[in-house]
Amino acid sequence: MKETHIQTLGISLTTFYIIFIAWLYLVEPKSLEELPTKAQTTIENVTTKTQVAIGTYEVDQAKFNEGLKAFRADNFIVARDNFEKADTEKRDAKTQFYIAYGFYRQGFGKISNDDALFKQGLEQINRVIALDKNFKSDDANLQIKTPVELKNEFEEGLKVTASDFNPLKVLRERK
Amino acid sequence: MEKGERQKEKTVSLQSGDTEVKDLSFVDGELLEIPIEEKLTAKKHTEISSKIETPKTKNENQRQKSCLQYIFLPLIFLTVALLGGLRISQTDGAFVFLKPPLVCLIFATILLVLFFRSNLIKLDGWFSENFSILKNVANATILVSLFAASTQVFNALLPERGLPFWTFAFCFFWTLWNNLFAEFDTKRLLQSLGGLFGLAFVVKYLFLAGLTAPANNNWIQGIFENPAQEAFTWLLDLPKFAPATGYIQFFTLVFYLIGLFLLKPEASE
Repeated sequence: MKETHIQTLGISLTTFYIIFIAWLYLVEPKSLEELPTKAQTTIENVTTKTQVAIGTYEVDQAKFNEGLKAFRADNFIVARDNFEKADTEKRDAKTQFYIAYGFYRQGFGKISNDDALFKQGLEQINRVIALDKNFKSDDANLQIKTPVELKNEFEEGLKVTASDFNPLKVLRERK
Repeated sequence: MEKGERQKEKTVSLQSGDTEVKDLSFVDGELLEIPIEEKLTAKKHTEISSKIETPKTKNENQRQKSCLQYIFLPLIFLTVALLGGLRISQTDGAFVFLKPPLVCLIFATILLVLFFRSNLIKLDGWFSENFSILKNVANATILVSLFAASTQVFNALLPERGLPFWTFAFCFFWTLWNNLFAEFDTKRLLQSLGGLFGLAFVVKYLFLAGLTAPANNNWIQGIFENPAQEAFTWLLDLPKFAPATGYIQFFTLVFYLIGLFLLKPEASE
C-alpha cells in the first residue's frame, strides 16, 4: 500500500469516526439496542431535510389520507397525529390547516370552548398563514375555508364577552 | 574452452572500463566444471543479493509507521473522544452521553499549546509547504483527533456539576496556566500530565464515588442506612453513576496516554 493510500484511508476513517461520535452525542442512545432505531430516525430526518433543500419534499399521502379519515370521524387526536406524521417538516399549508381545524372542532363547545385547544389552534393557524396567507381549502365538508376566518373563530372563542352569557348560544352549530 | 576464454575476456574488458564494449545481448558458452573455490564464491554472491533487499525492509517499516500514524493513532484518540463523555446510569444501567462543557475546550486548547511549547509536537514538522496537500490534511486530522481526545479527557475527569466541578476546574486551570510559562521538555510535560490526570482520576472515581450514596427509591430509607453518604451526595451535588463508569474512564485515560506516547514530534517522511 502506498503512503498516499494510507493517508487517504486515515482521513476517511477519521472523518467517518468523528461523524459517528458526533451523531452518538447528538441522539444519545440509552443502550446498544436503541442504536438501529436512532439510526433509522436520523436517516429519515436527513432524507426529509434533503428533499426540502432540493425542493422535492412532499407530504406522505397515505398518512394524510388516514388523518383525513380520522378527522371526518371526529377522532381529532388520531387525525392530528397522522397529519403531523404526513408533514413532518410542517411545510404543507393544507395539512397544517387540517391540524388547526382539528383543534377548532375538538375545542368547540356549545356552552364554552376549550381555551387550551383554541390557543394551540391559534398558534397552528398562524403557522398556516406564515406558510401561505392566500390558502383556501377545497374541502366541501369544511365551512371555514380560509386561515383568516379560522383565526377569527379562535380569537372570538378565546374572548370573554357579554354574548358568551346569551342562552341562545347553545343553538349555534360547529362549523 | 575457447568460448569460455572469450567470455572471460568480455568480462575483463568491462571491468577495466574499456570503452570497447562488445555485444552482450547474445551470450554463448558451454557448461563448465566449477572448482570448489568458485562454488563458495557463488554462495557469497547469494548472500550479497539478500542484502540488496534492505530498502524493501525499510519501505515496510515506513509503511508500518505510516499506518500507525495515520490510521491507528487517530483511532486511539477518537476512541478516547467517544468514551470520555460516556457514563452508565446507576438506576437502569443506561448510557448517558455528556457533552463537554466549554471549559474543557479551553483546557484542551491550553494543553495543545503546551504540547507545541514542549516540542511534543513540532509545528513545522507537521505542516509544511514542502509536504503534499494530502499529507498536510492527514496530519491535520491527527491533530483534530488529538484535540477532541484532550477535550474529552477533561470531560471525563471533571466532576459533572456543583462545587466539585468548579474546584477541579480551578485546579486544572491553575496547573495548566502555570505550566504555560514554565520551561518544559517533553518528558517532564508527560510526567506532569500523568500526575495531574492520575490524581484527578483517583479523587473523582475513588474518593468522590465513595462518598456518593447508592441509588435508592426511598430517600428516607437512604438517610437511615447511609446518613454520611446521603449528606455528601446532597451537599456536593454528586451524580449517581454505576461503577462501570470508573472502569470505562480508566481505560479512556490509559488510551489517551498511550496515544501521547505514540505521538511523534514530526510527521514521518
